[in-house]
Amino acid sequence: MAQAPAAKMKFRIKVLMTLMMVIGFGVLIGRLFYLQVVTGDFYRQRAVDQQMVSTTVDAKRGTIYDRNMQPLAQSATVSKAILSPAQVKEEQVDLIADSLSEILDVDRQTIVDKCANKDRYYEVVKTKVEQPQADEITRLIEEEGISGVYMEEDVKRYYPYGNFASTVLGFTNSDNVGAYGIEAYYNKTLSGTPGVVVTAKNSVGLDMPFSYQQMYEPQDGGSLVLTIDEVIQHFVEKHLETGVVEHDVRNRAVGIVMDVQTGEVLAMATKPDFDPNDPYTLLDENKIAQLEEMTEGSEEYNQFLQEAQFEQWRNKAISDPYEPGSVFKIVTASGALESKTVSLNSTFYCSGSIQVANRKISCWKAGGHGAQNFADIIKNSCNPGFITVGQMEGPDIFYEYFDNFGLTELTGIDLPGEAESIYHSLSEFKAHDPSVELASSSFGQTFKVTPIQMITAASAAVNGGRLMQPYVVGQVLDADGNVVKTTEPTVKRQVISQETSKQMALLLEKVVTEGSGSRAAIPGYRIGGKTGTSEKIDQQENGTTTEYVLSFMGFAPVDDPQVAVLVLLDEPQLNNGYGSTIAAPIVGAILNDILPYLGIEPEYTAEQAADQEVQVPYLVNYTPHDAQSVLTGLGLKTRIMGEGGLVLKQIPGAAEKIPSGGTVILYTDEASAAALTEVPAVTGLNPEQANRMLLNSGFTLQIVSEDVEAQGTVAVSQEPAAGDLAEPGSVVTVTFAQRPEDTGQTAGESETSQTEQQTGQ
Amino acid sequence: MRELTTAPHKKKRVVSPIRTAPMDYTFLVLVLVILTIGLIMLFSASYAYAYYYMNQNSFHFISRQLMFAVLGVAAMIVISFIDYRILRKFAWPLYGLALVLLVIVLFLPEINYVHRWINLGFTTFQPSELAKLALVVLYAHLITQNYDKMKTFRYGIVPFAVILGSFALLLVLEPHLSATVLLCCIAAVMLIAGGINMKWFTLAGASAVGLLAVVALIPGVIPYAASRLSYWLDPFSDPLGKGFQTIQSLYAIGSGGVMGAGIGQSRQKYLYLPEPHNDFIFAVVCEELGFVGATCIIILFALLVWRGFHIAMKCKDRFGCMLALGLITQVGVQVILNIAVVTNTIPNTGISLPFFSYGGTALVMLLAQMGVILSVSRQSSVEKE
Repeated sequence: MAQAPAAKMKFRIKVLMTLMMVIGFGVLIGRLFYLQVVTGDFYRQRAVDQQMVSTTVDAKRGTIYDRNMQPLAQSATVSKAILSPAQVKEEQVDLIADSLSEILDVDRQTIVDKCANKDRYYEVVKTKVEQPQADEITRLIEEEGISGVYMEEDVKRYYPYGNFASTVLGFTNSDNVGAYGIEAYYNKTLSGTPGVVVTAKNSVGLDMPFSYQQMYEPQDGGSLVLTIDEVIQHFVEKHLETGVVEHDVRNRAVGIVMDVQTGEVLAMATKPDFDPNDPYTLLDENKIAQLEEMTEGSEEYNQFLQEAQFEQWRNKAISDPYEPGSVFKIVTASGALESKTVSLNSTFYCSGSIQVANRKISCWKAGGHGAQNFADIIKNSCNPGFITVGQMEGPDIFYEYFDNFGLTELTGIDLPGEAESIYHSLSEFKAHDPSVELASSSFGQTFKVTPIQMITAASAAVNGGRLMQPYVVGQVLDADGNVVKTTEPTVKRQVISQETSKQMALLLEKVVTEGSGSRAAIPGYRIGGKTGTSEKIDQQENGTTTEYVLSFMGFAPVDDPQVAVLVLLDEPQLNNGYGSTIAAPIVGAILNDILPYLGIEPEYTAEQAADQEVQVPYLVNYTPHDAQSVLTGLGLKTRIMGEGGLVLKQIPGAAEKIPSGGTVILYTDEASAAALTEVPAVTGLNPEQANRMLLNSGFTLQIVSEDVEAQGTVAVSQEPAAGDLAEPGSVVTVTFAQRPEDTGQTAGESETSQTEQQTGQ
Repeated sequence: MRELTTAPHKKKRVVSPIRTAPMDYTFLVLVLVILTIGLIMLFSASYAYAYYYMNQNSFHFISRQLMFAVLGVAAMIVISFIDYRILRKFAWPLYGLALVLLVIVLFLPEINYVHRWINLGFTTFQPSELAKLALVVLYAHLITQNYDKMKTFRYGIVPFAVILGSFALLLVLEPHLSATVLLCCIAAVMLIAGGINMKWFTLAGASAVGLLAVVALIPGVIPYAASRLSYWLDPFSDPLGKGFQTIQSLYAIGSGGVMGAGIGQSRQKYLYLPEPHNDFIFAVVCEELGFVGATCIIILFALLVWRGFHIAMKCKDRFGCMLALGLITQVGVQVILNIAVVTNTIPNTGISLPFFSYGGTALVMLLAQMGVILSVSRQSSVEKE
């Protein structure tokens, strides 16, 4: 029979129960307290991290403006066509493939293949779909009840001017990230901060049934205001493109316009370039022709295409060092003057060649230039002359100015991919005496600098001696258009004195007025410059023919330099080509367009004024304001007589030629047509003053003189005489002659007197 | 409880199996309350998982569990009316049956890489569940039979060691470490209470612990034991592999905080916590009910265990005492081990939470065993101390 549990048994049970309560349940409650109350936040945070899925919302990329707020690159919202194969109904595959391939211009088979991946939910059919096509697809989805196709928001970058400033602007890749140029360099500023939408998801990525959503608004990107002027850039590109075609340039051409005083880049172009809207398509005719001969899809084809794409994206102005040739003589000359190695009176002799160590270096002029002063060797771009200058300076001084002019360092321009220069070190110059390296370097050969380095150095030579840091972004704007940063011009250092710089400007003017740069001259403007023709020596060894880089650096006005223009043509296919014959006219054409645009008024000498003739258009039956705008466009002044609504009569008549800046008088009623004007007195005035006075009174100047160019010429007689009444617009014939006691009192003579001073030294 | 004060003449009839005395209602109510909470939490923990993996049928688990719960409660009530002493007759046959099934299961196809389940077609059955019952019944029987000789090696140690050893060996072969540990705990509690010589027990206990330490620390004796230890100490060392389940459990528990996310509001059950309706259901409980709710449930379990021990002590005969003790110890230890695993207090091992975890046959067996305890309680209630 059963016995009741013994007391010992009960005691032991009690002990066991107590142990289980304390060690078991007690410890567990303590453990839970630790996990949930003490360290709960740690685990909760990590749990939240894994449960929350964040989706990014793209920020709007900022706009790139030119200096006058013309948009050069801007973003717009477009669409992305998405296919969700898992949701596509089998019977709709053909309909989807047909319609999408037609609307989006996508390969039909590709869509069919994508539809076959039934386990996929997200296949991009096409990005950057324009609104009309997106609307068409949306309408189709509704009408046909298509499932598995939808449109998502996408962003597209537009470059309204196409292949315009493209190597500077760069482009964005398909992810809307800057891939080249300013787009890449300022990508962080432009792109802004993407927004985030946080939603709760289960572990397989589906939304949880409870609602949790948090949105962080995207911060739109900032905008950039460039120093580039769309109008100037346009002129540069136009002339550069023409030059590339005219001279069959094989290795692209570069044009840079810089504000001499500040280092602002007003224009920077490389041609041929590309269209940033479609950066992968080649625009270089030569490359396209070469590519067409290859088998599409072959390894050779792909490699060539890729290399050509990279090449057309390259900003040659900052990324390709070249041998500057004679343009570099600006640096040699500046250093020699500043260091007082030479003076304007120093004399040089060119026999046509010069012996340096065991090398005989020829001048470009076969017979030599004979005896020359310092101005002459610059004007003549005489190589033996500059070799002598270099030798007079010696390695230390030569290198010091080479270095000070910034040719051994990056300019620091705010563009990606600036290349380093390649040059002889000071010890290389010193290794031999006389040094061939020094000799060739002094006229700009056997070393390489980038175009941006060259124009920055040349600007320093004429702007008062300050080496500026070039830049292309003038202002950074926030998303609301407020200015958040303005770039101030940075002076790197004073390289030469103001006086030396002034001398250099005048010496370089002579290159244009009398020397090798004459084809860059523009009547009414004082232009200075330097030509450059360099042999591509490093390519000579492998090739049979020597290729050249032709360049010209021009600046204006000489008395107050404001802009510098550097144009270089790499490998033009021409016989007997020189920088003077090819590059100088391009710079001249650019300056001719941009100087009036920049508001720099031409000042004609009497001879130039006479040369500048305009044919008067037929203006009868125009309204006076229409007629006036036509005349303004031609550079003529207008005087409207009478109060009629239409022009009845004009003086001078149609097809007559009058000097530029002359006045055309328009008569709008019978009474005014009969009126006469008093002829002003011009005797005692110089040609320019006489011309101005007659133009203002509505008369046309006719000069009679033997030597109007000479200094101190004044009007001695006029016909009709002063005070006579004459028909407005009629010609006043003025005779000029030398005034014996002339000392250059009048204002109009200041420019000629400076030239005089120069030649005298 | 009124019955406690019945007339003294009934004292003589204590040996007779009279069924007039009522069962321990406190225990019954505790069982039903815990079962109800368990079912609610099972539904909450399982519906998301069921929705994604069971053909979008959120009720897949709860409907089946409810069915078994009803069956189990019915069995519990019925068994509570049966004289538990009948089990003495089945002590050895139950042991034999459990042994046979434990051997058979080793030759059945693996499920989840282990031989633990016998597939009955409509449900699965773990022979280890039967082994626990068989061990309790046989130990209770032997202790009652040889109580006076418990101090001897021959009667007090050898038979118990053989029984436990045979089960443990077969369970290790499955492998089913947690069940082995659970059996050892039950055996230890019953032997201590049953009057084992503490000298022997200390010796056996020490050697068992020593053996455990050796197999755990010598690489290769128990597969993955060393790595399992390292993932226990630092689950974040393999956050997507071995440590994943533990980490997800800790995330859920920590997310609950003091007051919890609210019932039904767990996020971790959305496919982050693997099988939230099984062994790790308590993590969901912690996330939804917080520290306060989880502690209440632990206290409910503690009350149940206390009441079970109370019933055992109040029992008029040793067999009933030992039987109730063994059965309630099984529940208590299983609860403690499960929550310890879920909170990463001990290394991860597969052990379910009684009344909460999904598992039909296990629930029916558990409720049947509660019925046995209730049956014992009927006897204790007529005894007057």
